[in-house]
Amino acid sequence: MNEVSSPVESDRKPGVKAGRRLAVVSSMDTGQAPSPDALVEMMAQVAQRRDRQAFALLFRYFGPRLKTFFLRWTPSSAAAEDLVQETMLTVWRKASYFDAGRAGVATWIFTIARNIRIDHLRRQRDPLSLQPEPDIAPETVEDGVLGAERDARVRSALTALSPEQQTIIRLSYFSEKSQTEIADELGIPLGTVKSRTRLAMNRLRALLEERS
Amino acid sequence: MTISHHATDETLMRYAAGALAAAPAVVVTAHLAGCPVCRARVGEYEALGGALLEGTEPTQMSATALNDTLAMLDDEDAAAPFAPPPLAPVEIEGVRLPDALRGCDIGRWRWIGPGMKMSRVGVPEDPEANLILLKVGPGRALPDHGHVGTEFTYIISGSFSDRFGTFRPGDLAEMDDDVEHQPVVDKDGECICLAALEGRMRFKNVIGRMLQPIFGI
Repeated sequence: MNEVSSPVESDRKPGVKAGRRLAVVSSMDTGQAPSPDALVEMMAQVAQRRDRQAFALLFRYFGPRLKTFFLRWTPSSAAAEDLVQETMLTVWRKASYFDAGRAGVATWIFTIARNIRIDHLRRQRDPLSLQPEPDIAPETVEDGVLGAERDARVRSALTALSPEQQTIIRLSYFSEKSQTEIADELGIPLGTVKSRTRLAMNRLRALLEERS
Repeated sequence: MTISHHATDETLMRYAAGALAAAPAVVVTAHLAGCPVCRARVGEYEALGGALLEGTEPTQMSATALNDTLAMLDDEDAAAPFAPPPLAPVEIEGVRLPDALRGCDIGRWRWIGPGMKMSRVGVPEDPEANLILLKVGPGRALPDHGHVGTEFTYIISGSFSDRFGTFRPGDLAEMDDDVEHQPVVDKDGECICLAALEGRMRFKNVIGRMLQPIFGI
């Protein structure tokens, strides 16, 4: 953590907050994924206190994952890192728009990255196009549905799928690959990819309904 | 607005993943504006994106990535806050169109056959997007066409019926290429709809097929 300056002592609220943040830091250091609540806490620090240490934690956790996500769409490591940077700068800029009641942190950052990728595609096709700001929140989240609850439900449904089904869902989500290319990658016939995708989707749908 | 025809789960998932082509994405956005059921599902699929992102294998970032980004935060803070431009309603010759078409380049109505007009819609994300507005008179059949990709049609006003039922404003008709259907506009008024096909070259064929019986080409 040495490249990030610690928050000024007088800036820190006494007691609970500091301890909680330390707990977050140490869980990151041991390589464990931060809990959804810890991520929300980091976002709160960024939004309310413009806390760079919390931002750095989010960057350390999401940056390398976002890079994998962007590498699905661009072969260049530098280009992927530029998109990661753009995503994380948007997280910093829009932090006050983050609403834990509407979506979890990972979901919110995913929608930002998705919009940046779509935007990037547009710029490649038409470099002179006027850049609208990427959307802030998933505009689609329903009022009255607790974001954290829904995210936990989706996470649990995903892990209840078989490993093969998770792979199929991941591939259809995180790649521009057609089903034909997915068939080649997995070494199975195209018809099988189609039927397995449908099965995986139906199973996921059923698991989501069970949990709602 | 009572919605009786929805997008498929596969489409909503691809929409949430950002993997749906630009033209169908506009049509789905129009449908979502009036459909809480599909909005909730897109919300779930966005959460799925979040879960997949967290579960994804990390790729090592370059050593300077974090500090480079931290160094840019001051500039971010100094920049003027984003103020969205005032949003004017989207319309074509006085008819209000879905907000999903904001930013699109909407052409004029062109006559393509008796009781049938079409306006080509340009989508900024994709110059080759196959997106059109169709205006078809009461009692008339929509252009008879086989299509090669999935076809997405959102009903803006009026209604049409085919063997799958009646499609009213807010409904989304999503038809696979293997589906034979012959929509006919209901007799009580003209129908305006927004239609997209996935894929590039395919739509030209469809327009060709639409124009074929009209111009005898």
